[in-house]
Amino acid sequence: MNQKTITPRRAVIIGGVRTPFLRAFGDFTPLSTIDLGAAVVKGLLNKFPIAWKDIDSMIWSGVVLPSDTVNIGREIQFDVGLPMEIEAFTITRVCTSSLNAITLAASAIERGEADVMIAGGSDSTSNAEVKMPPSLVHKAAPVVLNPKSTVRDYFRLLTSLNPRKDLIPLRPAIRERLTGELMGESAEKMAKRNQISREAQDAFAFQSHKRAAKAIETGRFSEEVIPVQTPGGKTVFTDNIVRGDTSIQKLSRLKPAFAKDGTLTAGNSSSLTDGASAVLLMDEAKARSLGFTPIAAFRSWSYDAVDPTDQLLIGPAISMPKAVSRAGMKAEDIDMIDIHEAFAAQVLSVLKMLNSDQFAKDRLGVDKAFGEIKPEEINIHGGSVALGHPFAATGARMVITMANELKLSGKATALLGICGAGALSAAAVMEAV
Amino acid sequence: MSDRLIQLGKSLVIRNLFKNFGLPNLPQELKRSKHPWEQHPLKDQVIITGQIRSSKLTEAIAGTVARLGATALVDGDETIFNIFHKIGSGYGRLPHYLSDEDKPVNPFQAMIYDATDIQRPEELNLVFSFFHDHLRSLSTCGRAVIIARPPETMPDIASATSSRSLEGFIRALSREVGFNGSTANIIYVSPDAEDRLESVMRFILSPRSAYITGQPLNISNQVLMNEPSASIRPLDRKIAMVTGSAQGIGAAIARTMAREGAKVIIVDRPCEEISAAKLASEIQGTLLLCDITDASAGNTMLELISNKFKGLDILVHNAGITRDKLLVNMKSEIWDQVLDVNLRSILRVNEKILPVMREGGRMVCLSSVSGIAGNRGQTNYSTSKAGVIGYVQHLASDVKERGIAVNAVAPGFIETQMTARIPFATREVARRLSNLNQGGQPEDVAETVTFLSSPGASGLSGQVIRICGGALIGA
Repeated sequence: MNQKTITPRRAVIIGGVRTPFLRAFGDFTPLSTIDLGAAVVKGLLNKFPIAWKDIDSMIWSGVVLPSDTVNIGREIQFDVGLPMEIEAFTITRVCTSSLNAITLAASAIERGEADVMIAGGSDSTSNAEVKMPPSLVHKAAPVVLNPKSTVRDYFRLLTSLNPRKDLIPLRPAIRERLTGELMGESAEKMAKRNQISREAQDAFAFQSHKRAAKAIETGRFSEEVIPVQTPGGKTVFTDNIVRGDTSIQKLSRLKPAFAKDGTLTAGNSSSLTDGASAVLLMDEAKARSLGFTPIAAFRSWSYDAVDPTDQLLIGPAISMPKAVSRAGMKAEDIDMIDIHEAFAAQVLSVLKMLNSDQFAKDRLGVDKAFGEIKPEEINIHGGSVALGHPFAATGARMVITMANELKLSGKATALLGICGAGALSAAAVMEAV
Repeated sequence: MSDRLIQLGKSLVIRNLFKNFGLPNLPQELKRSKHPWEQHPLKDQVIITGQIRSSKLTEAIAGTVARLGATALVDGDETIFNIFHKIGSGYGRLPHYLSDEDKPVNPFQAMIYDATDIQRPEELNLVFSFFHDHLRSLSTCGRAVIIARPPETMPDIASATSSRSLEGFIRALSREVGFNGSTANIIYVSPDAEDRLESVMRFILSPRSAYITGQPLNISNQVLMNEPSASIRPLDRKIAMVTGSAQGIGAAIARTMAREGAKVIIVDRPCEEISAAKLASEIQGTLLLCDITDASAGNTMLELISNKFKGLDILVHNAGITRDKLLVNMKSEIWDQVLDVNLRSILRVNEKILPVMREGGRMVCLSSVSGIAGNRGQTNYSTSKAGVIGYVQHLASDVKERGIAVNAVAPGFIETQMTARIPFATREVARRLSNLNQGGQPEDVAETVTFLSSPGASGLSGQVIRICGGALIGA
């Protein structure tokens, strides 16, 4: 037989950009998730000038999706003006969404489905839909959809409506459907169960704000944040949730947000945010032939789930060791760790479990804990507590920050960990190229 | 079939009224679980634990409590607390230390006492003070459990004596806690069978054991264990056959087993076709209409099992009848009929079926408290049901190398159509003659049989589990 040596294809990250992350109902309020997505993809294509015809596919992601156009990826592509022949689709996987879009793109490239791909995510919590109760639809539809309906039918419909039950709009669902808990309430429980003190949470939040503020000040984020113009003509340049001037004293004065005697506050939790991020991925050989310099690649990833009624956001403590062992590595081979900060309490709980032999034995089937990781060793440029958390833009933000950091610092590996609603979680191991 | 006193007792006002007038306690409605087995059956509950001293089982108990989803309240020294802390931290279930300023606000769901290391009768005082001090805070439908070593495995006479004493203690305790729906049981764990304790504890501490109280359970490692225990869907991919399952307890067993993932073969007489077929379609089971007293019954079953399923994992001998008469009035036909259905058919069927039982199989035979204690007018029934006990005890050691566990369950007064036919006065007396002051439900038997059929029950074999609410008669 004629044997050919096939070099396996490798997907590489060329780079990425994101919009500034703004607190919900701020300057980005007029921009829908599609607008934000279009802005960030335009920014990406400006920064990495590639012939548009060379793009094969785009995977977008979103969590708060508009019900009339769920495949926002395709709409973003139209708004950017990309060739219609590029296919685009949209995935949703709670807070791990855009990491998932990126790893799906990497898989597609490595399988040979595509050579050049855009992956990312956007969310505009300011534009979350407010729905009318289904009972209104159930009552009105038979009358409205029937061409034979008479004025009397409409009149009867009007009199049958109950103002309280049928006409008051429903708030967007922010509670877990299974447990009926707000995510903060679940995190509050985790803090209590793992005995994470208010002081530890505030100290972590303080660190997040300080580091993010420093990253902005020193221009560390200028590599990744693009300016965005709002319809009002204003240009937004930087994230607006970060509080560089905060102090432990200020944080410790805040009232508990989710329980009367609780420890979670607005200061040590991530807030509702608008924003978008996008990453350009290519097959390594293709990248070199097009003259691009790759900065990072994925060694492995792991998507997992746990019992939402137990510890909703503990998943990264399972995903992170799994991803590392899939990469054929050990904890000590990892140079940087970036964990999504839904709540300071959740990050600290995850770190606690990563250091528990019992947890490792019971949940991962290994004898030894992943290892001790001090809170100050992770998230070198802050995290979601300080920067905000546009659900489907966070994963890509972490990938971009870590990829840039690998390039700048000359370090070899980075580990990402993300928790999400429904007790989903994800982790990925990135390496410098 | 509804128990009026339980309905009455649901009202706190009426309960207090009864209490203040010095009337006997109304029976407490038992907490039961109709859901499939769950990962954390005691989620967010508090369990108080005590022990003579730290033992080989301390870690196992700490792990069990955390995996049940409960928080431990540790009555013990710092070494013990540290063990609970180390293990609990892996589950986000850090223990509390029992000290005066840290008294639990809420009553606790269960009390576990580890007496495996008891050495002298003087140490029984420790058991006394643990239960004496904390029993008042045990919630309604709570659980008191003592874990000990079987007396025959104890190294000397003093420890064997003490260990046996505990059984008397728990039996008496079960009579005292029954009024509020709580149960008390003792689990004897043979050395080297520690790894089989957890699944038994999961069952005993859960609401599924609501009607089991005042008895010892012996966990041994005689049965070959070839499958890890499962905390959810324990009967996935299992083929189960339940005889007499068209209605009553048998139907409850079939439903519960199907709920936990088993493919159930419903066996009943052709005259029960309608109810059996309804059940079969409800639980997607397979129907087999045959009379188990027929000489060919075993062959009919064998044919179905080997043709359609290529083996059998679970066999429940549930079919049974009563034909009550005082011995002097009893005709030989009804004597014969009862013994044939209840006992001899089991032997005949097993002769054919046992060879095709898969490794790690489970068999449960329905005995009765009548078979243990005897009952007036039931010489035939008691004989057959006592025979069942002898049968499982002997069969258990024959098949242990194949990993098959064989047990009997002995229901007491269960609210079924059969007991509904008992005259009112007799029925009322029979109902109340137990620690829990009430009859059991078919589901209580079904949950127990399902547990005994699960992979995690490999520690129990050759035993008789009474499901009688602590009947005042019987062992």
